[in-house]
Amino acid sequence: MTPLQDATPKPPKYPADLEASMTLPKQRASPASSLASLPYRRSNPSLQKLFESTASLSGSRASSGSATPTASVVPTSVFSPGSRLNGTGTPNRLPPGVSDEYRNLIQRAFVPHVAVLADTETQELIRGKGLEGGLLQLLRPFGELVPGKVTIRDSVGASRSWGDFGVRFVGSNDGLGLPPSQAGRNPGLRVSTDGQRAGGRISSSSIRPRRVGGDVPLIEELVERHLQYSEFNAHDSMPGYFDQNDAPVQTESNSSPFYSLFLKRLLSGLPLVPHETFAHPVASVIAVSSKNPNPIEELRKLYSRQNDGDLQLPQWVENQYLRYYVLVHDEETGDIAKSNQTFDAMKRHFGLHCHLLRLKGQQCIPSDDDSVRLPTCEWISASEELAEIQKRETADDITDPTPYLPDSDITAIRTFVRELVAQSVVPHMERHVSQWNEQVLARRRGISGRFMSISKRWTPFGGNRNSSVSSSSSNYDSHAGFYQASSPESLMRKLADYSFMLRDFKLALSTYDILRTDFNNDKAWRHYAGAAEMAALSALLTTAPLSSKTRTENVDTWIEAASYNYMNRQQNTTPYYALRSLALSIELLRLRGSSAADAAARWGSRILDSNLVGPVAAALFTERVSACYAVRTGVGSLRLGSRRRKAALWSILAAESWFRLDKALQAEKCLDAALRLYNAHFDPADVVESLPFPQMQAFIDELRNEILGLRLANRGFEGSGEDGAEGVEQSLVVEEAETLDASPRAHRKSLIGAVAPPMDVGPLSPMLERSEERRDDQFE
Amino acid sequence: MSYAFTIFSPIDTPLFTHEFGTSRSGGDGIARFTTSERALNPFILHSSLDIVEEVQWGLSTSAGSAPMYLKHIDKYQNCYISCWITGANVRFVLLTRPRDEALGLNAGAQRGSLAGGRAGLGAGGQVYNPTSPATEEAVKNFFVDVYEVWLKTIMNPFFHVGSGDVVKSPVFRTRVAAAAKKYL
Repeated sequence: MTPLQDATPKPPKYPADLEASMTLPKQRASPASSLASLPYRRSNPSLQKLFESTASLSGSRASSGSATPTASVVPTSVFSPGSRLNGTGTPNRLPPGVSDEYRNLIQRAFVPHVAVLADTETQELIRGKGLEGGLLQLLRPFGELVPGKVTIRDSVGASRSWGDFGVRFVGSNDGLGLPPSQAGRNPGLRVSTDGQRAGGRISSSSIRPRRVGGDVPLIEELVERHLQYSEFNAHDSMPGYFDQNDAPVQTESNSSPFYSLFLKRLLSGLPLVPHETFAHPVASVIAVSSKNPNPIEELRKLYSRQNDGDLQLPQWVENQYLRYYVLVHDEETGDIAKSNQTFDAMKRHFGLHCHLLRLKGQQCIPSDDDSVRLPTCEWISASEELAEIQKRETADDITDPTPYLPDSDITAIRTFVRELVAQSVVPHMERHVSQWNEQVLARRRGISGRFMSISKRWTPFGGNRNSSVSSSSSNYDSHAGFYQASSPESLMRKLADYSFMLRDFKLALSTYDILRTDFNNDKAWRHYAGAAEMAALSALLTTAPLSSKTRTENVDTWIEAASYNYMNRQQNTTPYYALRSLALSIELLRLRGSSAADAAARWGSRILDSNLVGPVAAALFTERVSACYAVRTGVGSLRLGSRRRKAALWSILAAESWFRLDKALQAEKCLDAALRLYNAHFDPADVVESLPFPQMQAFIDELRNEILGLRLANRGFEGSGEDGAEGVEQSLVVEEAETLDASPRAHRKSLIGAVAPPMDVGPLSPMLERSEERRDDQFE
Repeated sequence: MSYAFTIFSPIDTPLFTHEFGTSRSGGDGIARFTTSERALNPFILHSSLDIVEEVQWGLSTSAGSAPMYLKHIDKYQNCYISCWITGANVRFVLLTRPRDEALGLNAGAQRGSLAGGRAGLGAGGQVYNPTSPATEEAVKNFFVDVYEVWLKTIMNPFFHVGSGDVVKSPVFRTRVAAAAKKYL
């Protein structure tokens, strides 16, 4: 896959420039060449919208709505001296360590999956509305956040309402097939994916979008795309990114939008695998059109395709999930009386889980009266988003291709989704949780269950109460690597996953813990790793305080076991899952503060040490480690136990790795954060304090100069004298000059070289040259 | 095996830095840091002060008496940090970078130095172990010698250690080098 090379060539690198960085503004390459390397970036508003949407998506971190005002603020006011001087941030921002953005993100990532299956008439109706993907594409964005609160009853009968509950609509056998690194592991498990898919795929030349995620290199490529975009468009068109750059250190180290994006894509499109059941469908929407001559018969046909036909899932997926029947009525051509009649017949046949969805047939255009843009999907897999970016980059038209829908359709779909989730899916899951809790878990947990699990190991006592247990020493099919869907282990895992998705973390934790020992006895290593991972996550997600003793004794061992078993067991390692368990543990541990943050940082360096990720993600995680250390602020006036210096070290490391990746903005951000951390002890009025080591100061100065050079090279000569951009650059350079002047030391001359224009004399000197040059460019 | 030794004042400024290699088992006493490692060393040493402070003010492991020698306290990648703390809160920090072979990175079977050498190599195969008794003892002897020289230096009435005077005395440097040669 070589999308980067053809569509968006990287800016040319000039090694010579990096060495003689101080003179960079002069010897930069000719403007024309650097312009030629940026084909569509500034000229394609639809593409910009795509990047912007992801940027603002991750900008939702403040959770209290502060994202909206900052996004809508006009750039000039952001850069005004006032907002620069009050470096303490907007009042809406949460203090470090309290923002639970990632906790919410994790909760919203593990949600029930609902398969979507529709007949041809429905698909045609929806394609007529301009949605190539059919019903699935129509429903997908609406499932991500169910409107209104969803009330869930947990295992002890206490109800709790959640405002951010959602479901994922997936194709009937999406998610099958593992990421490429694991493909071919179990060829027998793959079902043939031909035949009519529930949803069409967006056609693209080089990237074939797959709705299943879990492909780390692709995720990194996507983040790289976003980074590159921000790098080039930082100042003229992307207020969102620039806010980040401008934000005070606390929020900055808390979350980089790119890290949020990475995490989100890591958790999007969970693959359908035997060792966890999150991606197994909890329910399935089966839709027929009212135009269909025989809707009931068609529903039966679709059902049987799913039950034992070409869409049947492998045997480790339980097939008896909830079926939800939908009659799609066309408001314009259909006859509502007839549809009502059909709907009544459906209700008689299939019971309560039915819905009549009334949609308008014709295509809607943006200029229509009550047209609403189809919301963007937040949880799409990396390959889908890459394909979309690529499609828009190569497309000629500058219009936004997102389809528009009439307002009434949107309302109808929202009502439908709400009804589906609140009245069918959640009660269905609750019922199963309590049923399995009584029938499977209680039996396993009781005296006889303990005895049974012992007798499984010491076969002479083989219990005859459960045939599947006594028939062999274990239910685990070690050859194919899975448990049958009906085995008690599978059911318990499903119980645990259901309660995890319903956010009953206590029940989930105890179930995972039992499963862990069972899987360990069966030597089902991947299942064992999965149970350990989820046990750790559910222990960390519970709101109850966690003593540091339980944390070090249980949680850390679980994380260790999960990552070890994912990475090192058998021939087939699953780095994706290892990365997922480590990354999520980092975030959750970090929220617990103090000593847990130390552990988080340790797991972060584990990710880096074990080469789980490529360069981009490595830089992101380096930044994260710094953020983990920065959470520990210490106690008392002496701030004992703080990890300020550690955080600064990792910030420097992150800056260096960003610099090596040619990401000047990110590097600069990290460097600024590091300097702020280093100066935290000193008198705030005396910002010109130098670093303790002359070598450190020299290193940082050199790095900063190189970054400055890189940034100028990257941005070339964009900005045709707009006042806003000019002001930004001026103020940025002034800021730098402060820190550069801040070093009253003798080493600089020898280290940076004689070619350097004396920074003390003219902090604006590179800028002056630049602006002159820019004027020249204009005259040419 | 390469070492970087730094004395930190109570306000975290370096008063003295010295870089050397092992002189044991045929070592020539020259530090073998790569350029990037050398650039990072000050950062690593400085960042380990976080841990020093924590150990210093945290719960004492030896009942009653607070030890001056804090032993191995921190690690960054392949760099191990040991610390000695004086009564005036001056920190001696020693960064140890074992050879790649001693870390099990390369399959080399050379004998290491005494610190992390014989006993360190003896236990778990060839892997450097910062907490092995021999390593700790060697580092401790080094610190004790340096501490003695340090005391003599700060007894100089013209040396204002409180105001962050950098140690410039060549005698001090040779004494430190001698201690390094003797024990590390």
